[in-house]
Amino acid sequence: MPLATFKASEALTIGIELELQLVNWTNFDLAGSAGDILHLLEGKQFPGDIKPEITESMIEIATHVHHRHDQLLQQLQSIRDALVTAGDRLNVAVCGGGTHPFQRWSEQRISARPRFIQLSSLYGYLAKQFTVFGQHIHIGCASADESLYLLHALNRYLPHFIALSASSPFYQGVDTRFDSARLNSVFAFPLSGRAPLIFDWQEFEHDYFAKMEKTGVVESMKDFYWDIRPKPEYGTIELRVCDTPLTVERAAALTAYLQALCRMLLQRDDIAPVEDDYLVYNYNRFQACRFGLDGVLVHPKSNQSLLLRDDILTTLRQLTPHAAALGSESALERLHREVACEGNHASFLRQQFREAGSVQGMVDAAVTLFRLGRKK
Amino acid sequence: MPETLLTVLTSIAWPVAIALAWTAGEVAYRLLSLPRISSYGVAGVVMAANQGGFLANPSGGPVTLLAHFAFALILFELGYRVNLRWLRVNPWLGATSVVEAASSFAAVLMLAVAFGVALVPALLLSALAMSTSPAAVLRVANEVRSSGQVTERLLHLTAFNCVLSVLTFKAVVGYWVLASAGSAFEAVWESLVVVAVSAGIGGVFGLAVPWLLRQIGDVERNATIAFAVAALLLTALTHALTFSPLLAALAFGLVARHRRVILSQAQSNFGTLGDLLTVLLFVFVAASLDWRPAPTSIGLALAVVVVRLAVKTLAATAFAHLSGVSWRKGALTGLAMTPMSVLVIVLLEQTRYLKLYALDQVAGLAMIVLLLEVIGPLITQRALIWAGEARQLENR
Repeated sequence: MPLATFKASEALTIGIELELQLVNWTNFDLAGSAGDILHLLEGKQFPGDIKPEITESMIEIATHVHHRHDQLLQQLQSIRDALVTAGDRLNVAVCGGGTHPFQRWSEQRISARPRFIQLSSLYGYLAKQFTVFGQHIHIGCASADESLYLLHALNRYLPHFIALSASSPFYQGVDTRFDSARLNSVFAFPLSGRAPLIFDWQEFEHDYFAKMEKTGVVESMKDFYWDIRPKPEYGTIELRVCDTPLTVERAAALTAYLQALCRMLLQRDDIAPVEDDYLVYNYNRFQACRFGLDGVLVHPKSNQSLLLRDDILTTLRQLTPHAAALGSESALERLHREVACEGNHASFLRQQFREAGSVQGMVDAAVTLFRLGRKK
Repeated sequence: MPETLLTVLTSIAWPVAIALAWTAGEVAYRLLSLPRISSYGVAGVVMAANQGGFLANPSGGPVTLLAHFAFALILFELGYRVNLRWLRVNPWLGATSVVEAASSFAAVLMLAVAFGVALVPALLLSALAMSTSPAAVLRVANEVRSSGQVTERLLHLTAFNCVLSVLTFKAVVGYWVLASAGSAFEAVWESLVVVAVSAGIGGVFGLAVPWLLRQIGDVERNATIAFAVAALLLTALTHALTFSPLLAALAFGLVARHRRVILSQAQSNFGTLGDLLTVLLFVFVAASLDWRPAPTSIGLALAVVVVRLAVKTLAATAFAHLSGVSWRKGALTGLAMTPMSVLVIVLLEQTRYLKLYALDQVAGLAMIVLLLEVIGPLITQRALIWAGEARQLENR
């Protein structure tokens, strides 16, 4: 199957997908209930898109395409409300978070869809171990070449998104000491990591994708588990490193941050990205996963060491005019508060674990936080 | 010499019976995927003295308290899994429960009367037919590690119909006491007071144990043992006071859950302790019945089993769409509610001191229990697998 034509879309439009956890109200373990929820919502008005994921205890929601943060947030909140209401009717709790802290991957049921069954037989335990929950942010690009430029220009900022969204400190019952343990699961896939440094879509299509396809390793862009990948069918780039935050408000704020960042990068004031930028890429990514906002980055151009927290605060200041132009000041203020005072959701979860004394209590807190601010 | 030998044999009878039943359970599970508890029941029937086996009828003996403790652990866990908030959010679930229990009662009553059973035994039989065996559904659901709507609804409806069944049963006993002894005081005592006080004691435990746990700390490690110890104490206490350990244990679990002390997933079934006691419980139930008069009442027994199954399935199906699941899952929920033996036996066992030998009076009961002891868990297991909610057996 050749690569789909890049369907140019309006620049800087936004949309997101969130993978959410379905949880049992009694023991707070994952509950294989996606089929039941989808059945309940069948034929009903749902304020967004909803679909099954690889295991029965995950569900994926998606927004429409938006121009502004407030519209996106509003839709996300309606989706959350509808989903929580549906869950309540079936005694199923819904929550965010990049991992479920104590589920056993061997106990998950694979959803009965051909693609999932095929993935499960190809990847074996990796498929079940992939019961992790991410946020995918789409940014509309006016042209295919612009998408490739943005994709690489973002390389230095990628750790920001990992640290800001990190919400998976526990995995398989223990504290991993990582803020985002989820990404370690993603890195296990053979086609994960970064995209090759190509700026020209023609070249990308014919010299890279066509060759890869000929090897038989991939069939479509879907088979690449890159941190950022182009999505030609939508005319977007898709940032995939974020853990699903514990609240939709934070998910929307992260989207606004990426949108403002892309607006800044598209002005092309920075020096263009080069292959050597990627020398520090994996190291920086590790720092963000492991230490979250306390990680230390190496700047790819200056080789200077930077505290991730400070780097984000500096970037937020630089983005002020862009946020003003996009109408997303409130979202960036929210992130500023998170970085400067509250900490990310990984630290919230660790705090809950200390207070409740159990991993179940931690999930309970995540469920409560997700429902907060819901309209009845 | 023979006498000594007899004493030795008597004293090892129960350990031997448990060992044999457990082995049978494992073998049948491996070879036939039969729910373990079905095999325990069959083994119990075969080994019971009434059938010419070596296991004397244990009713009233020391094993009784252990069996009640085993059952209390199960009821505690069931109560613990009930989310009362769900009833408020989804009132159709409550409607399903009331309708399925009430129509089971009515249908079986009409049937029993048609078969010429006298009124009081007929009422008792109908009250018992409302209930689903909590031990069977919980053990089977845990055995196949099922999760989903059929599982959730099955557990909730079982908890509700057990409560309704016990309440109705106590009311009938109250009526019977009034009719036969003419003592209004005793009648009220046997029904209202016993029910209220039993639930009250359970509720107090449900408040006190989580509180104590928090004071001691290390909740995650201590929760299981603390709840088990409390269940043992509760059983002994209510037993000694001739209140209802069943209601007490259920109320204990229900209140403890809403105090938000969380049992860890690894400890469902109360771990190895629960597994061991379950073998004992199912052998106990099977061994305490006298099956000999059973064949004569096979007609009534079969009719009750079929009618009860049909009524429960119909009721659960009728409310399926309204309560948010497919017709199919509704029907499977009703089907999964088939087992009924353990609650029945334990309940009757507890009325023994009243000299109400209902087991002998209620024709066909032994036969019904025999049928459902084996078939019930199997139907529940199949229903959960057909619903696509089981994890364990899917690769077999």
